Amino acid sequence: MATTETHSPNPAGTQVVVASSRFKTLISNQQFILLIVWILMVIGFSLINHIFFSVGVAENILLDWAPLVLIAVGELIVIISGGIDLSVGAIVGFTGVISAFAMRSLYEGSLAEQPYLVLAIGVLVCVIVGLLVGLINSLLINYAKLVPFIATLVTLGACSGMALVFTKGAPVMGGPREAIALSPAWIGPFSRPVLIVVVVVLILWAFVHKARFGRYTFAIGSNSFAARAAGINVKRHVTKVYMLSGLMAGLAGFFFYLRLGSGAPTSGLGNELDAIAAVVIGGAALTGGVGRVSGTVLGALILTTVTSGLIISGVDPQWKRVVVAALIAIAATLQALRKTEGGAS
Amino acid sequence: MFGTSKASRGLIVAAGAATLLLAACSSSSSSSTTSSAAASSAAATSASASSSASGSAACDVTGKKVAFVMGAESDPFFQAMKVGAAAEAQAKGMELIWQGDAKEYSPATQIPVVDQVLAQKPDALVLIPTDPKALQPSVAKAKAAGVIVANVDTRVENLDDVLTFITGDNADGGAKAAESLAGAIGYKDGTKYKVVVGLSSETATTNVARLEGFKKAIADKYPGIEIVDVAYSQSKPEVANTNINNWLTKYPDLNGIFAIDGTNAQGAAAALQAKGLTGKVALVGYDAYPDNVKLVKDGVITSLIAQVPADEAKQAIDAVADALCGNTAGIQKEVVIPNFTIDKNTTEADLKQYTYVA
Repeated sequence: MATTETHSPNPAGTQVVVASSRFKTLISNQQFILLIVWILMVIGFSLINHIFFSVGVAENILLDWAPLVLIAVGELIVIISGGIDLSVGAIVGFTGVISAFAMRSLYEGSLAEQPYLVLAIGVLVCVIVGLLVGLINSLLINYAKLVPFIATLVTLGACSGMALVFTKGAPVMGGPREAIALSPAWIGPFSRPVLIVVVVVLILWAFVHKARFGRYTFAIGSNSFAARAAGINVKRHVTKVYMLSGLMAGLAGFFFYLRLGSGAPTSGLGNELDAIAAVVIGGAALTGGVGRVSGTVLGALILTTVTSGLIISGVDPQWKRVVVAALIAIAATLQALRKTEGGAS
Repeated sequence: MFGTSKASRGLIVAAGAATLLLAACSSSSSSSTTSSAAASSAAATSASASSSASGSAACDVTGKKVAFVMGAESDPFFQAMKVGAAAEAQAKGMELIWQGDAKEYSPATQIPVVDQVLAQKPDALVLIPTDPKALQPSVAKAKAAGVIVANVDTRVENLDDVLTFITGDNADGGAKAAESLAGAIGYKDGTKYKVVVGLSSETATTNVARLEGFKKAIADKYPGIEIVDVAYSQSKPEVANTNINNWLTKYPDLNGIFAIDGTNAQGAAAALQAKGLTGKVALVGYDAYPDNVKLVKDGVITSLIAQVPADEAKQAIDAVADALCGNTAGIQKEVVIPNFTIDKNTTEADLKQYTYVA
């Protein structure tokens, strides 16, 4: 529909096309750019303090990356579908304390001799609570007709509020001590829980980019009316999308429990913004229909590398916000450029 | 957890929605507590203790209404305070009106609560102002209505209308933390030691006063100790955990950690356990929440600096009871209660007294 430069009668147009298409290829490969940015960061931080280039730091970065990538990929899927999920950070804290309560009562009670069974039940509780909050999000969106921003803002407030009320603000300890023992690195810098997260992310990648689930998600995010006309049950798919996001946040909540050996109502607070940042830096469009899991994975890796890098460099980690803001600005600009260029081809 | 009750109360403000504003909230909602922190605390405690004894004997305050407006119901610090207030009010036969926002530590929610409480015509008001300036008019209003006003924990800027201001001594707590840490790492002059400090907020006065007290004690008594890094966790244990994890990698020879509140202690304790450094790196925490006390017994946390919120509340009730009898001679304008150090050697009796009510 748009008049493209290739059809331009202007003889100079040919050159414009060559230049712009090279630019197009460059900026369209967001993952490549992110990888370069990440490598430059690692080199830069290592030059500032050689300790940065160590297995120990890699282990620290992965411990931060794993919970973030879980909620970020969940968030990516929501964003591809044209929605937004603000409740993920609150779900992290909420599922963390609920499962901590459950694990404490089991561990102090009938299952004192079976710590790993208690932990397994803890995962299950996180998964179920996460799915339930996701279901509530989708009900508010599909049937109460709230826009996703408001619907998930409601559950954000409800979950973080309930977490505080139930715990009176204090962390919930008393579960199996084996939790923290799982956090140290196992293979290279990877701990067992981190490896599980890697597997989960690979499964989600297949879901998004190789399966019908992903095709439906992209279709709805690009044009929900067309998707409905094409026979997709949009409401049902939206429900799945938000439940998946809740599930990922629940798993992140359990990951934090493993790291801290306790559930804290303040855990995860504000993580929705980190997740959205990872998604945007990863090249997804908040307007829906665009995004790659690999981009989000790298986006999350860059964010957590910045965190550890600033601490190791002795820079006030509050600078992270500024760095992240700059990265978002650059990524969003590339996204906007890609859109105008993309519309022309 | 949130040892610095102030930081966490500020934090709770943010819980509803605008999470990025977190730091800003805690800064605005908590200020100027401990300028007078250096006051001789032992004298202060004994003075107010004796005044309460004489006061209760002097006249009958049975049936008098005392309103207690605190910061945020959700904070265990205030829960502990509530226990102390309720017990003392009951002992004196006074009626206690306990009020405050469910979870928000902010003047915006607190001012209407004060108005509503004053409408119930109490004889006295014990107020924990969430902001030194914003609550000043509320204090004036109470005074004008003939209500005796006391401040606990935090204060309004101008104490003219306030009978007494009773607070824990955070600078003293910081100094006690330095002493305890120095003891735990076997400090000797001439040797160099590296310690880090995990904080929650750059502005909450509890954090600032504790850090100042800590730094001053180190400068005065332990010049060999160097504070190599400080960082802020915004009251999130996982952020505190990330900070400590990276510090432990950056400083393989780290000697000690001062975790300035419960959140930081939680994150630091997890990091030491995961890296197998329990007992090798000393960890001094703050606030005697039951779970923290358990970690002291397990040897993960070396020591805890505890405040005495229940005692603060009790002394405030005693002071207003005395004033209601017209017996104001023994009441001091400012009472600073010293902190208490809990470690492995603390007796069960002391643990019982100082552990907060969960």
